[in-house]
Amino acid sequence: MKRNYKKAFFIFMDNQFIFKYSWKTTPKKWVHKMERSEHGNRSDTNTDYPFQLLCFLKLHTYTRVQVSIDICGVDHPSRKRRFEVVHNLLSTRYNSRIRVQTSADEVTRISPVVSPFPSAGRWEREVWDMSGVSSINHPDLRRISTDYGFEGHPLRKDLPLSGYVEVRYDDPEKRVVSEPIEMTQEFRYFDSASPWEQRSDG
Amino acid sequence: MTVPATRKDLMIVNMGPHHPSMHGVLRLIVTLDGEDVINCEPVLGYLHRGMEKIAENRTIIQYLPYVTRWDYLATMFTEAITVNGPEQLGNIQVPKRASYIRAIMLELSRIASHLLWLGPFMADIERELIYDLFEAVTGMRMMHNYFRIGGVAADLPHGWIDKCLDFCNYFLTVVAEYQKLITRNPIFLERVEGVGIIGGEEVINWGLSGPMLRASGIQWDLRKVDHYECYDEFDWEVQWQKEGDSLARYLVRINEMKESIKIIQQALEGIPGGPYENLEVRRFDRTKDSEWNDFEYRFISKKPSPTFELSKQELYVRVEAPKGELGIFLIGDQSIFPWRWKIRPPGFINLQILPQLVKRMKLADIMTILGSIDIIIGEVDR
Repeated sequence: MKRNYKKAFFIFMDNQFIFKYSWKTTPKKWVHKMERSEHGNRSDTNTDYPFQLLCFLKLHTYTRVQVSIDICGVDHPSRKRRFEVVHNLLSTRYNSRIRVQTSADEVTRISPVVSPFPSAGRWEREVWDMSGVSSINHPDLRRISTDYGFEGHPLRKDLPLSGYVEVRYDDPEKRVVSEPIEMTQEFRYFDSASPWEQRSDG
Repeated sequence: MTVPATRKDLMIVNMGPHHPSMHGVLRLIVTLDGEDVINCEPVLGYLHRGMEKIAENRTIIQYLPYVTRWDYLATMFTEAITVNGPEQLGNIQVPKRASYIRAIMLELSRIASHLLWLGPFMADIERELIYDLFEAVTGMRMMHNYFRIGGVAADLPHGWIDKCLDFCNYFLTVVAEYQKLITRNPIFLERVEGVGIIGGEEVINWGLSGPMLRASGIQWDLRKVDHYECYDEFDWEVQWQKEGDSLARYLVRINEMKESIKIIQQALEGIPGGPYENLEVRRFDRTKDSEWNDFEYRFISKKPSPTFELSKQELYVRVEAPKGELGIFLIGDQSIFPWRWKIRPPGFINLQILPQLVKRMKLADIMTILGSIDIIIGEVDR
């Protein structure tokens, strides 16, 4: 009997509820655009406010978004504020997910969300490492995935896929050195936009 | 008689990156006070291969061989999620038979992953049997490249279903044997019970998922919650425990293996006939309702590289991998390459709780705790 009760409660508070509720109750300066699609709900905010918005979403009874699933940085070089930081969130209580997005450029700093969501620490380090968007007052902002002494931010669109340096072990110096990259074959790009077989001639 | 003065300062020990008992290349910087651990800091990035950047320059079909290299033990999950994303973006239906085949493969892969976690000295024989089954279907033991958008690459060979049923029956007896051998073993219990306890609130705060979440009393399983593939048609339960220590995680994984066998048996008995791959893309923007022999007719072909275009939308697709919640955040551009392919590995998040769990534990307990968290560096670093 008890199990049936819970199920009914979940059906009532469906995906769209926390979305509509948060849209109606958060102050307008925090959220400037909200969009709903069949592939998930998203809300856009400014760079100063992710902390407040996420605290609200986490603590409020009707939204209870307690799990930060993912934070990622996206690079759109054609836009003025080229980076977009996306926080993916999950509410286990209401079984719904919501995405909060902020736009930033190379020098804007985002407020960190480490205090409500401790798991965000590593994600923000990765956003800094890969895209170069840093957070203010982050407890521990260092590179996480790239090599010690790597320069540049790999997931920006202007860094090519093969990078600029390659490493090799140098026997006279008895350590690993980095040198500018040397490719014996040029980058092969297959244009598969047409279903007909491409003949590589010429 | 002079007593040598004891040193008061802390000792910093570097474990790894190359280490026989490490689960891959993980470097742990451990601060010790005698034998008690004060702090432990994992350093990642030794296996970073730039999977996300590569994904921006490959079509989905070209990218499929890469995805099995993230979590190389539960490879079907990585493939399933790579294929589910574009399917949901393009609203492609998967035929029933393919859905059942996928569910069987996923559960077999889950068992294989849990078996490897259980210990190479105990479970290798059974893992080899699973790999033989995979080889019969996909042609490769570990790096399968089997899932495709709209279904699977090839159908099950003749007689595979009977072999799989035999394996299930054999496996149940073997799991009973493991349980007798391990679960009542006092040495094992002493090392594992009460070690690395995480409470229910903390688990949600830190965003853990998978067996770690279920061992602390929260019944959250994406297969039940998200209703994906055809898991709704089977009769199975979510396995969970209350205590939140390493023993609870061990019990959850063993019970999950038994539950997976139940699902596989039900799927094998109920598998429908029909196509195993959906070769037609139902909805595409450029040409509307073209005839099959029209010049512009688009379909997902096997060769050359298919011209499946991802529409300009964002999507977060997730799956319940044996380690936790594996997710892909996919931003499509109206082109064959994705614009952003973000991988959300469960090991990355689950590893964050390690410094907190090992405080005040002995040095030898680090390995137990790390083993009970069950991480694979391939997916943590990507």
